[in-house]
Amino acid sequence: MTDLIKIFSIKARDFVKAGEGSIQIQSLLKSIGFDTDLIRRISICAYEAEMNAVMHGGDGELRLMVDPKEIVLEINDNGPGIEDIDLALQDGYSTATPEHREMGFGAGMGLPNINKNADSLEIHSDNGQGAHLKIRFEVQNS
Amino acid sequence: MDGTGQDTEPVRYVQIDESLCNGCVLCMKACPTKAIRIKEDLAQVQGFCINCGECARVCPRGALAAARSNDFDLSETGEYIVSPCTTLYAQFGEDVLPNDILLGLKKLGFWYVHDQAYTSEISSFATELYIRESREKKNAPFPLISPLCPVVIKLIAYRFPSLLKHVLPLATPRELVTREAKKRGAEKYGRKPEEIKLLHITPCQAIADSVMEGASREGPCQDKAIGINAIYEPLQRIIQEIDDDTVLHHSGGIGLGWGMSGGEVAALDRNCLAVSGLHETIRYLEMIEMGLLQDLDYVEFRVCGVGCLGGPFAVTDKYRAKHILQKLILIFGVEKRIKYKYVIDLYNKGWFFTDKEPRSREIKPPQLSSSEISKGIERQRSVEEIFRLLSRKECGACGAPDCRTFAEDVVDGDTTLENCVFLKKKGAISIQV
Repeated sequence: MTDLIKIFSIKARDFVKAGEGSIQIQSLLKSIGFDTDLIRRISICAYEAEMNAVMHGGDGELRLMVDPKEIVLEINDNGPGIEDIDLALQDGYSTATPEHREMGFGAGMGLPNINKNADSLEIHSDNGQGAHLKIRFEVQNS
Repeated sequence: MDGTGQDTEPVRYVQIDESLCNGCVLCMKACPTKAIRIKEDLAQVQGFCINCGECARVCPRGALAAARSNDFDLSETGEYIVSPCTTLYAQFGEDVLPNDILLGLKKLGFWYVHDQAYTSEISSFATELYIRESREKKNAPFPLISPLCPVVIKLIAYRFPSLLKHVLPLATPRELVTREAKKRGAEKYGRKPEEIKLLHITPCQAIADSVMEGASREGPCQDKAIGINAIYEPLQRIIQEIDDDTVLHHSGGIGLGWGMSGGEVAALDRNCLAVSGLHETIRYLEMIEMGLLQDLDYVEFRVCGVGCLGGPFAVTDKYRAKHILQKLILIFGVEKRIKYKYVIDLYNKGWFFTDKEPRSREIKPPQLSSSEISKGIERQRSVEEIFRLLSRKECGACGAPDCRTFAEDVVDGDTTLENCVFLKKKGAISIQV
């Protein structure tokens, strides 16, 4: 059973609000009292996933699910989807537009970064059906 | 204990004059750690205070002030070595040069005067050496964060503990001076270093407090710190009477620049950023915690706008002072005056390093057990339920800084839902949660 669920909406191309959800997730997990390095890994993933949706995805939502053993992030958007998931997971592979690059995004490190920081990552995307990410983190207790 | 699982430190930095406080919400809303509540029309500091001074800055009635006395008895100068912060050089107008100010201090009776700006200057080079070394290591944390501003270090320890490993492990110029001025003073005048007392002159309440607490990373000491404002007038008078031409000032423009935002990183031939102001500092720390900005080598954070010149104990307006400092930098130049080899030798000997962790690391939250985590999640769920009931006008009339904190306070039993004026208006307080 998931003890706490929180949903944040994501708006396509809204670079001003982008990252807000990740910051709120960060502070929520801090006030629960999780280990700070775990929180750091989660907020890196939340931010990367949120930015991916904002840049490529379209509207969508970021869902945080917390229980004492596991924290899960789910990101669903209704954008064009990811054409080649294996390729997208490679360092430096990017489909960012020049506009994204001008803003300092699109280095092709988004999904690889999530992969690196998560304990597990599932990606589902059929062309034209949006992208769906499930990112899991184990909670190590002392 | 608060929601982050940290013990709160006894409050001692700010005192509230109850005869002046009218219980408005300004200080409470300005506090970056949400440590202030309004109870029965009075502000109360009840959470973790990082000594940033924002509450005192925003209070229109002058009801909040530094808790510690900032007086200094001039008849005691003979007991002390004095080491002024670089910002002192920018307090007397552009015609008064650093050497005049140091001579003035000598004339006030201090038995040894140390130019801290010189130590700052060599510290810049040491920072550069450390950055270069770290970039060659795999998995070294980047960007590195300046250890200089004590409020930033406290803020990191409290709100961003995962970033403590980013803090540069070199001693700050003030800490190096504490060590070095004593050694030099001792050599020159045949005393023992531990017998020597040092007086810091600073624009910063937080630095003054940390010196007085003996909490410097270099260990406890019997030193003292006073604000620039505590010595300004007698110093200004005596500077007019100087007829001495001894040279006490040795730094160039690089060391002088440290008093203002951007000064510390100006000499670094690396990819750096200088961020000043409390809210900007928080915003950039959030970004670093999300793994951004790793391309940067070093970030200089100062919670005061314009840097240390904006400290609460400074006398001259910060923008005027900045202009004076810029003039002084032009006069003294930014070319490298120090022999690089000399700095490298000191660096390799470990002279710049501090073996002390930032003091605030001690308050790093313990790892919670599974049942404590369950309790934390349960608490958070109750907070979310109450938060959903609130109007989110963020008015502060309930005595908490924002609606979310109010919801937390209700769950923790520190306040009740009746204190929300909007719920009361809706007649909705009968809702049981």
